[in-house]
Amino acid sequence: MITIHSNFRVIALLPKVLLLEWEEQPSEKLLEFLLSYKAVIEKQIKVTRCVMGYQSLMVHLLEDIEKLDWWKQHLNKLLIKTKKQKQRKGKHWNIPVCYDLDHAPDLATLANAVQKSVEEVIALHTQKPYRIYFLGFLPGFLYLCGLDKQLHFPRKEKPLLEVPKGSIGIGGMQTGIYPNSSPGGWHLIGRTPLSLFDAKLQPPCFAAPGDWISFKSIDSKTFEIIDKQSNQGTYQIKPYD
Amino acid sequence: MIEILQHGIYTSIQDMGRFNHQCIGVPLSGALDQQAFRIGNQLLNNPDKAAALECTVKGPKIRFHQNTYIALTGADMRAQLNGRRVSSYTPIEVHENDELELGKAQNGCRTYLTIAGGIKTEKILGSRSQFKGLTREERISKKILLPIGHSDFKPVKGVHLRIPKTAFHKKTIEVYPGPEYPLLDKIQQKALAKNKFSISKLNNRMAYQLNQKLQHQLPQIWTAPVLPGTVQCTPDGSLIILMQDAQVTGGYPRLFQLTDEALHLLAQKQTDDEVQFSILPSVE
Repeated sequence: MITIHSNFRVIALLPKVLLLEWEEQPSEKLLEFLLSYKAVIEKQIKVTRCVMGYQSLMVHLLEDIEKLDWWKQHLNKLLIKTKKQKQRKGKHWNIPVCYDLDHAPDLATLANAVQKSVEEVIALHTQKPYRIYFLGFLPGFLYLCGLDKQLHFPRKEKPLLEVPKGSIGIGGMQTGIYPNSSPGGWHLIGRTPLSLFDAKLQPPCFAAPGDWISFKSIDSKTFEIIDKQSNQGTYQIKPYD
Repeated sequence: MIEILQHGIYTSIQDMGRFNHQCIGVPLSGALDQQAFRIGNQLLNNPDKAAALECTVKGPKIRFHQNTYIALTGADMRAQLNGRRVSSYTPIEVHENDELELGKAQNGCRTYLTIAGGIKTEKILGSRSQFKGLTREERISKKILLPIGHSDFKPVKGVHLRIPKTAFHKKTIEVYPGPEYPLLDKIQQKALAKNKFSISKLNNRMAYQLNQKLQHQLPQIWTAPVLPGTVQCTPDGSLIILMQDAQVTGGYPRLFQLTDEALHLLAQKQTDDEVQFSILPSVE
């Protein structure tokens, strides 16, 4: 059963764009509700697309809004349908990460700053699965929740101009994977040889909101092997339940 | 085929953009001045989504490897075909080995060069718009040959299209109030409506930053979906207007949302140009 979160405001952002925003703090309960509600909206309303945030849904309509009150009522009616919605079972993905210093330029600094050994940081980072809330920032960038409090650490004052593709970072309360090389202000504590995004694949990104990912520590030799397979397109990541 | 001989200041291949991949973090992309782009295709009887060249501030030099028709819309870059001036907003017949040279924008900022049949480069996730990490090149940065689609276009004599031209001199940017706008006090709201703002040097296909700041105490927000035309306010008060290549989510308070028309107009503004917000009532 889905718990209904009926306390949200509806804003007309543009004549064809509605923004639904919940005031409560992001949580797995809210995430699961948003995923179900989004599925109902996409089925029941003529939309071009529906985009998620931590506590919001942006709904792009085919027609003009005209009367906002009518939409508010209609969206409330759809809440009831959401209740009956079957919960989508999230998939689990294991992401191989090499925490060797070659691939982790900031690991020692971060460990020092949070008063842990490098091994303890790796243990804390790999011990629990993280929930995917939504995607944004870059194609294939996953917003993850579940970073252990002991690893929370403010972002760098000066962002790096070019973070290598596949880098695993920690910034504030978050951890994440850079799906492509880009500027970035997070502390880099490891690197995955996996491709998080490939426009030639269908779907381009294997992971989806509601899924879980776990980081698995690998040595640099395994990194090279998977990296090679990944580049040749022969490495296949498989989910488990 | 057309050959880019000189690429100008910032020239890229653009179409209507990618619509259905925001959920996996893919920006919309596409022509910044969608209106000028659309008219360019209409002049040549192209499909709406035919890809064109978007030229910024100073345009490229091009050689044609076939006979075809082209059109120039948006900013006037004093285009010359084999050394002779040609007009904007009308089909232009070109022949094999002709050379087209675009100069500096006399008004506005972006010119669209549409070609009968459209540019036929690789399509990634439903669009040919160039974007870093998606298409092989993020813009045109060297001499290159571009394939062109087939077209039977012939201009019909005596037919005049009624063309809505961009009012380049217009400063008024129409906006709807954004989600955090009501949290501002009356003085801040008044300042946003009354003051003139100028475009900073930080303006590109991702975002336009304004020179003037707004003192505020707005809370940080949880990362939420954003759109081209969303006006964000950073903790230090900088105002940032998102454009077509912007990220699909953002974590700064959202003060305004530009109308589509305002977004097209803004795309024709350059560094130091002035704009003034005109705040529309929310849709109710």
